[in-house]
Amino acid sequence: MAFAMVEHKSKILYTAFVLFILGLVKVVFQLTGGENLYAPDFSNLKEVEFYDLENSRGSADGWRRDERILFCVPLRDASAHLPMFFGHMKNLTYPHNLIDLAFLVSDSSDDTLGELVKHLTQIQNDPDPKMHFGTIEIFEKDFGQAIGQGFSDRHGFAAQGPRRKLMARARNWLWTVAIKPYHSYVYWRDADVETSPQTILEDLMHHDKDIIVPNVWRPLPDWLGNQQPYDLNSWQESDGGLQLADTLDEDACIVEGYVEYQTWRPHLAYLRDPYGDPEVEMELDGIGGVSILTKAKVFRTGAHFPAFSFEKHAETEAFGKLAKRMGYSVVGLPHYVIWHIYEPSSDDLKHMEWMALEEVRQQEEAKIKKVYDRVWGKAFEDVHNNWNKEREDFLKNTDMANFKSIKVDWSGVDDWNLENGNDKQLADFNP
Amino acid sequence: MALNRYQIIRQIRRKPLSVLGSVAALLIIYFLFFTSHGSDSKLSKNRPTYNYNKVNKGWFGSSADDMFLKSMPKKHINRYDLNKLTTSADALKNREEILILTPLSKFLPEYWENLNKLTYDHNLIELGFIIPRSEYGDAALPKLEAAIKKTQASTNKFKKITILRQDSESLKSQTEKERHALAVQKERRSMMALARNSLLFTVLSPSTSWVLWLDSDIVETAPTLLQDMIAHNKPLLSANVFQRFYNEETKENDIRPYDYNNWIESDDGLKLASTLKDDEIIVEGYAEMATYRPLMAKFYDPNAASNVEMALDGVGGGALLVKADVHRDGAMFPSFPFYHLIETEGFAKMAKRLGYEVFGLPNYLVYHYNE
Repeated sequence: MAFAMVEHKSKILYTAFVLFILGLVKVVFQLTGGENLYAPDFSNLKEVEFYDLENSRGSADGWRRDERILFCVPLRDASAHLPMFFGHMKNLTYPHNLIDLAFLVSDSSDDTLGELVKHLTQIQNDPDPKMHFGTIEIFEKDFGQAIGQGFSDRHGFAAQGPRRKLMARARNWLWTVAIKPYHSYVYWRDADVETSPQTILEDLMHHDKDIIVPNVWRPLPDWLGNQQPYDLNSWQESDGGLQLADTLDEDACIVEGYVEYQTWRPHLAYLRDPYGDPEVEMELDGIGGVSILTKAKVFRTGAHFPAFSFEKHAETEAFGKLAKRMGYSVVGLPHYVIWHIYEPSSDDLKHMEWMALEEVRQQEEAKIKKVYDRVWGKAFEDVHNNWNKEREDFLKNTDMANFKSIKVDWSGVDDWNLENGNDKQLADFNP
Repeated sequence: MALNRYQIIRQIRRKPLSVLGSVAALLIIYFLFFTSHGSDSKLSKNRPTYNYNKVNKGWFGSSADDMFLKSMPKKHINRYDLNKLTTSADALKNREEILILTPLSKFLPEYWENLNKLTYDHNLIELGFIIPRSEYGDAALPKLEAAIKKTQASTNKFKKITILRQDSESLKSQTEKERHALAVQKERRSMMALARNSLLFTVLSPSTSWVLWLDSDIVETAPTLLQDMIAHNKPLLSANVFQRFYNEETKENDIRPYDYNNWIESDDGLKLASTLKDDEIIVEGYAEMATYRPLMAKFYDPNAASNVEMALDGVGGGALLVKADVHRDGAMFPSFPFYHLIETEGFAKMAKRLGYEVFGLPNYLVYHYNE
């Protein structure tokens, strides 16, 4: 009994000793390793907030560290794309409660806003709480549309400069009002992405780069070759590009993928190998805006989408250049691909119209041919085969050998002479 | 045989670590030589799989931010119509909100008093502060905290106050002499630009109409500072920053110009800029860089009306009123040489590139603290 007591006592002592050591380690750690900065207490004042920006620098595995993402989506006449977009949103594997959504609805003639609110309400009222996103903010701002929204209106060469500057303004209006001190990442996503991996946020984040973009392709109809690089705005600067920039005036705006501006830059899109390692990285200078993951500090410290010509570029391409100037890493993943929807150009539309008309024409032709064939068949019944068969039956029992061949003597038939008889005269015919 | 097994067991009982050691060695060899290849090919062929277990922040985790984030509303959908946001000369009548932003490396009670005396409706004023991650910032923070608690308990309280601590290490030395040495100017102003941007963009709200940049050492302004400046209805408007001092020659209190960052571009300045490399900057007030730019500080005329405007090309950040739209369009404080300009001067240039006009008020004075 006494022995048991002693053993018990030693156990208590032992535990106390371990706790003491742990406490000591913690104190030493706080004094030496960790920063020991003053933390104000405003818990009584609801209108006063304090944030240490150190807590939102963004790490490679942010989903394990409760790091919040600001998910920015610029929308314009996009109600048709929203069901597909929210399909992707529901599937995201990044913890939804860590994703704050920010939408900018501008210059829309359809009911983009109504559709958006409908989808958001639906997803926020999902019975599964894991579906619910963090804060959701919708901003409305019209910038006035000088340029139409058809594919060819948007992608024509002359429209590019003003159009890109206007889009840059829209993007800036979105993030400048939406970003908060507690955001660690900002993700930009266009609503018209058709296919993208569920893990896209983790896939991009684990590279631990300041700015990172995937490769963006689009599927095509088979008569156009099935698939095509879509986003040509992600590129590496080239000597040709720099030389071209030097020849242009201050407000000019180089845009990729147009014969008017030959830059000979290596494009992320063209470097894709369908069987390549999706982890491969490539340094970039300009980037496209379909899907961009950046650390929030990039925007916080002032990188934005220039709505003016910055180093002869605007919008996302200039954003890449600006961020590079500020010393941030800009990276693309050539073999990691997301798919943009296919929107036909006006030439494609013409071709498709022709194809549709051609199809109708061929159907009509086939129908007429069918009627024609039937009439022909009825009117000109071919009895040849029947006759061949009947003929055989006919002749089967007839022994042709018994018939002697008839001999006719045709000699002298032609011998009669008109001149010899007086009674036989030719009519007087002289035309 | 039996004896043999007995010996092994006795060996294990006597030295259990020897067994553990050999097992560990085998495991290490296995992981080194047999698993690396397999995991490599798996990584490249398939998508990486992710671990979703939370990282334990340990003893130092769970800060005040976490508490705020946990209490955030979950199902809220907030809508803001930015088309209805106005910035007009009659801001008070239109109930336009103002954001006053101050990078704060030291807390001056005079600054806070002056702020409290502003006559614009405090229910429409938000304040934003960013403090450096340094001992200076850490020394200023408790003083700011105490001042805020006092003001917010009064009837004169502000709509909202946000305080940020910068993430990066700030420059160490902040004494006046060192602060103005040309060699450290570029780095200092670059850091300052980063601080200003971090403050601006995280605090700017959808309801902000005007942004006033007010330095932490501006200790005296007219109480009607906001109304006076807003009345001009300019995208960017800079007040003239002066300093009160005791003039040893005349033996009386006097004032002298302080901020030389408000200027008009000159031919000499442009010529100088064209000779510089891309990463070099021009800053005012240094004999090594004579730009002969007309400086607003020199245009002060005590006898002229205080509402005289002059068009500027570069501005300082002492007391600078900006329409929030200018910042929303992307105008920020370049932390890198932008047309050889940096921070507030680069900001003026960027605003001009975006099509905004920049003005100054040469006869409207605000006063800098005298160190």
